Amino acid sequence: MTAEPYAAAVGLVERYAAAFVSGVPDQPEDDGFFGPGSVTWRLAADLSAPVAGLRSVLVQALHPLAMAGVDQHSDWRRDPVGRLAATSAYLATLTYGDRASASRVARRVRAIHEHVRGTDTVTGRPYAAGDPALLVWVHAALVDSVLAATRLFGTPPASADADAYVDEMAVSAELLGVPREIIPDSVAALEEYISGVLSELQCTPAAAESMGYMLDPAGMGEEIAELWQDLREAALATLPSWARDLYGYPAPPPITPDRRTEIRQTLGVFDAVFMAEPGVLEARQQLAVRMRTASPGTRG
Amino acid sequence: MKVRARTLAAVAAVGGASIAALAVLERRRERGLTRGPGGRVRVERGMAALRLAARGGARYASNAPRLFASAGEHRQQLRNDLALQTAEDVTATLGTMKGVLMKLGQMASYVNDGLSPAARRTLSRLQDSVPPMSPELAAQVVTEELGRPPERVFATWDPEPIAAASIGQVHRAITHDGRAVAVKVQYPGIAETIEADLGNVALLRRMLKISAPSQDVDALLAELKERVTEELDYRREARNQQMFARFYEGHPTISVPQIVDELSTRRVVTSELADGARFAELADWSQAERDLAAETIYRFVFRSLYEAHAFNGDPHPGNYLFHGGGRVTFLDFGLVKYFTAEEMQPLAAMVKHLCVDKDPEGFRQAMVRAGFLVPDAPVSTPLVVEHMAVFYDTVRERGPRTMTGEYAAAVTRKFFDFRSPLAAYARIPRSYVILQRINLGLFALLGELSAAADWRGIAEEIWPFFQGPPCTPMGAAEAAWRSRRPVPRT
Repeated sequence: MTAEPYAAAVGLVERYAAAFVSGVPDQPEDDGFFGPGSVTWRLAADLSAPVAGLRSVLVQALHPLAMAGVDQHSDWRRDPVGRLAATSAYLATLTYGDRASASRVARRVRAIHEHVRGTDTVTGRPYAAGDPALLVWVHAALVDSVLAATRLFGTPPASADADAYVDEMAVSAELLGVPREIIPDSVAALEEYISGVLSELQCTPAAAESMGYMLDPAGMGEEIAELWQDLREAALATLPSWARDLYGYPAPPPITPDRRTEIRQTLGVFDAVFMAEPGVLEARQQLAVRMRTASPGTRG
Repeated sequence: MKVRARTLAAVAAVGGASIAALAVLERRRERGLTRGPGGRVRVERGMAALRLAARGGARYASNAPRLFASAGEHRQQLRNDLALQTAEDVTATLGTMKGVLMKLGQMASYVNDGLSPAARRTLSRLQDSVPPMSPELAAQVVTEELGRPPERVFATWDPEPIAAASIGQVHRAITHDGRAVAVKVQYPGIAETIEADLGNVALLRRMLKISAPSQDVDALLAELKERVTEELDYRREARNQQMFARFYEGHPTISVPQIVDELSTRRVVTSELADGARFAELADWSQAERDLAAETIYRFVFRSLYEAHAFNGDPHPGNYLFHGGGRVTFLDFGLVKYFTAEEMQPLAAMVKHLCVDKDPEGFRQAMVRAGFLVPDAPVSTPLVVEHMAVFYDTVRERGPRTMTGEYAAAVTRKFFDFRSPLAAYARIPRSYVILQRINLGLFALLGELSAAADWRGIAEEIWPFFQGPPCTPMGAAEAAWRSRRPVPRT
């Protein structure tokens, strides 16, 4: 793969915000696959969500075939922000959209996956994006990252809720064509699944390069770049040691309670900046109202 | 140097704003709350009005000055649906820097020059994002602060807030002895949250660098911390307001609602409920009425400064209620600066030298003494005078003058003119920073009223070094009030 340089991460916040807003329906036909009472909705709104997002791509990229698919087929290098925003828009619709909308975007992703096939230059193995084994990896990395990020920097779910979350999220992999049997449905199953995949993981040059970019995106604008440093530290702190070892990142300093507070404060600023984007506040309020009515007294 | 001057400008503005509008009421809807003999409210009629008010949810939106932009019934319903129900809700909404950023936004909201557009947008959005407390949560705070639930503390309690206030909201009530009052209730947990967030100096410094580039971040930060910390304790505001209320007791046109001491604590402040026309309504009044209102505001600002050595740093249009005949009620004393005699002396000397003695050198020396100008600055005295003259424009000569928007704009431009050769040698010592609100706020307000008066004549009445005779009927009434009242206390 030629080392085409990455495009500048211009408009990261704006495009993420637009992606979120696009996923929140004005008049949903139903509550979708999760719904306002779900653990999924609560965790998606957690302050730690940006940490989960960054950790998620860091972990996902360690699967050489998943990484190769992104690197060889998507606009990843030419428009990294666009690629991330597209994923984000997909996840927002999947999470908040009604069943018809969620199914529609899932079908679209499956159709795109049909064309994402090739051979990984590092391992020499063929890959196909629609391969359930790859899809379940990407899925598991996301679910695990959300739990890890909330555990360290957010409001962690009770253990039963964590299990419920893993179980709720299974449908998202199913919609992309993964058979239910191989999708983890509890925290224990998730951990077992991940340990089982570890031997396949490695940090390919594409992964190292991509994640180098993610941890310090060029051209993001000075203000966001400074805040991004805290986000990076937070994401690295949530990484399992095997992932850090594969990347060769040094072990981060332990997160003291004071440091946790500081990082949460930075996340709060991120959140405020995000909220200032058009439509974000309205979309959030709409969701918050639905969440309140869904489960009075146990809002989150 | 230029950076520094700019910073001070921003600090001046940052220091100047505070948002609370105590008792913002729409006159037309308040006919039930007429005053009976002795200034007491007729309780039954008041209660009827409260019952009426309790039904109307839209009131909150229409009266909330900043926190909730009014946008119809749907938005209002939404706010009620999202009302903060627990202290945890408050922390989730206003914690992790958001409350601090919101205060920063409120404080800087009058600076035209100080904030980047993105920062401005973020901060204003943040204000929109805060819903009111639920009636139950507000009641809980009152109970914690005053020992009993609001329905017992007060004879009548309106559970629906009538306005957003500084880190809280305003409810109406009637006391057991029949006084209609405005009760400002602070969000629970907000003080602790904000104090914790103010501790993250590194992040705040970063934020300020982003939102107000090219300014002295440390000075801004110090100002922000001090102001916000002050605001967290409502008792301070109560003391300020009480001071002004006592000072102006019996004044022919100036009125300050009394604080109800026994119902005021750190998180709850209770004051008399005032009623009157809002600033925007003055647009429909005659120019003569507007002139009188302006004269009262002008007298209030300078009488307070020269005689009480106190300056209420928030000439925000929402902080006045107008009653006609020049009578004005002054609200919101969250940001009051007291000056020592030593601090006042050079200010008075500057005015005296420039406007009365016509002594430019004396003026310059007074500026140096006050710390506004570095000693031995390599700029000519005429240049100094030329730069500063605009600030004194309205009081240099006797005779009627009209305050205009253009004049206010010119003052602001001059204030932010850092290309002036003087800028490198000019300073604004911290203790005078707040006074720039006169330039940035008061003149803009009077300009908006197109107010005409013999400002110099009024100033001469007030200047302690001049003690001029009354030059207007209001001045005569004020002189009578001054001769009647006991020795003024400050």
